[in-house]
Amino acid sequence: MLLAQGEPVKTLEEGSLVGGLFLDFEEISAAEKEKKSPASTEDGQEIAEKYLAAYFAGKPAGYLIDPQGLLAADEKKTLVKLLEYHAEESAIDLVAYVFRGDQKIPREIREETSLERLPTDGKSAAVIYYFLGAPERTAMYLSPMMAARASAAEYQRTLASSVMQAVASTSPFGQFEVFLEQVSNRIYSMERITKSSAREPIPSQQGSQPFSEKKTISDQAPEISLRMKRMVPILAGSFGGLVVLFCTWAWWRRRARFRFPEFEIEPRMGGSHAAGIGAVISFGSPAIPPAIQRNRVPEYMRRA
Amino acid sequence: MVDADRMFGDGDVKLRSLTDTAGIFRRNERDRLECEMERIGIVFPQIFVAVYTGRIGEMANLRQFGFWLLNRGLFEDVPVEKPNEAGILIVIDPDSKVSGITFGYLLDPFLEEQDTFDCLSRAHSYWLEGRYAEGLLKCLAQLRKLLAKRARQARRDPEKYERKVIAPAAVGNLVRKIRENNFPTSAPTEEGKEVRR
Repeated sequence: MLLAQGEPVKTLEEGSLVGGLFLDFEEISAAEKEKKSPASTEDGQEIAEKYLAAYFAGKPAGYLIDPQGLLAADEKKTLVKLLEYHAEESAIDLVAYVFRGDQKIPREIREETSLERLPTDGKSAAVIYYFLGAPERTAMYLSPMMAARASAAEYQRTLASSVMQAVASTSPFGQFEVFLEQVSNRIYSMERITKSSAREPIPSQQGSQPFSEKKTISDQAPEISLRMKRMVPILAGSFGGLVVLFCTWAWWRRRARFRFPEFEIEPRMGGSHAAGIGAVISFGSPAIPPAIQRNRVPEYMRRA
Repeated sequence: MVDADRMFGDGDVKLRSLTDTAGIFRRNERDRLECEMERIGIVFPQIFVAVYTGRIGEMANLRQFGFWLLNRGLFEDVPVEKPNEAGILIVIDPDSKVSGITFGYLLDPFLEEQDTFDCLSRAHSYWLEGRYAEGLLKCLAQLRKLLAKRARQARRDPEKYERKVIAPAAVGNLVRKIRENNFPTSAPTEEGKEVRR
């Protein structure tokens, strides 16, 4: 069977057997690329404008936002199931935005807008910007309520370890699936720990925090001030305790009375009250310091 | 004591606990000194401190004078329940630039010459400059600390201090008793003789 250029691929796709001679591998790989990343036709790193509205304009329709169609239908189905299952089980929703590995989110788009657009039904949410094939670029944003529940370091650890697990997988979809599973499991376990500690959510002004970036001092300021507020009563109590202890000690010292045991001592040298024991010092000249005079005690005055 | 009586007189001498015959203290300094001395008297209810300043004389020995004054002195402002045995006398001779401390029998087991020397050493640099009151205050402060320390030590281990004042004769008797207990003076038995052989 003679096949025109491009025909073997078509035939392969239809499920027919094709001889090796007719296979043009460059064509096949190009076709695969085309299939896996339909948006690759858009030249450059930025996301094409036509997708921006679908990504960032309205409220997200589901838990997986992939307007570029970067995932195959069955892949999408699998991941949506996973995210829906997570949403049922957990009080924290996961919303994943899928981008191509080399794409950049335009600067005009603020990351926080994704959180602001989430349905406010009282549930906490975590928004994930996932870059297919480049899990290390993943960014996670937390709703303020969630950020207040656990420390930023914990979420950062969650993200880092999930990315590490994902990298172990070879296919981009496999990486994404592993990543979402890991994040889901870890958030669920963190949630259980938080529930068991039964702590009230603390209103935080921190807002969303991208964990892919390092925190600045100004970002940490509310956290530090919160810690300081907790420390103040402890420090004040300790200081007060020390002051009370010192005052008690000073009062005790002032009130302390010392008594010597009285022993019967035989009078010596004819003295009825004292035997004349004691030191003598000369202060006539600075050239004779006390150190030189220390042992100048006449023998006859020493105690027998 | 006989020598001292011959030199300074054999009669009792009435004086106050702070007697500034040399006139080296100002009025306010006297007040501060009296306050510190009174404080020592309160903290140590058995003890009193007396200070005498004056010219002792070239031929006299300051140590001998302190010994004589503590034995012959009648301190008017000291309560009767505090005998001279419980006294600590500081004598300063600003002419011969010498000072000394003498203490009574009550403190005999608890104080050493070196202790009193340390107290006087504290005042040495002040007295070199003629700042007698300041030096004396330093000396008294050191004395107070030292007495407190000794009182605590004596409360913990009174036997240690009691051993210091046991008369030598008594010590001799004690040793003899111990020896007698260990080596009975009775004639050695036949068995003992065998063992020695």
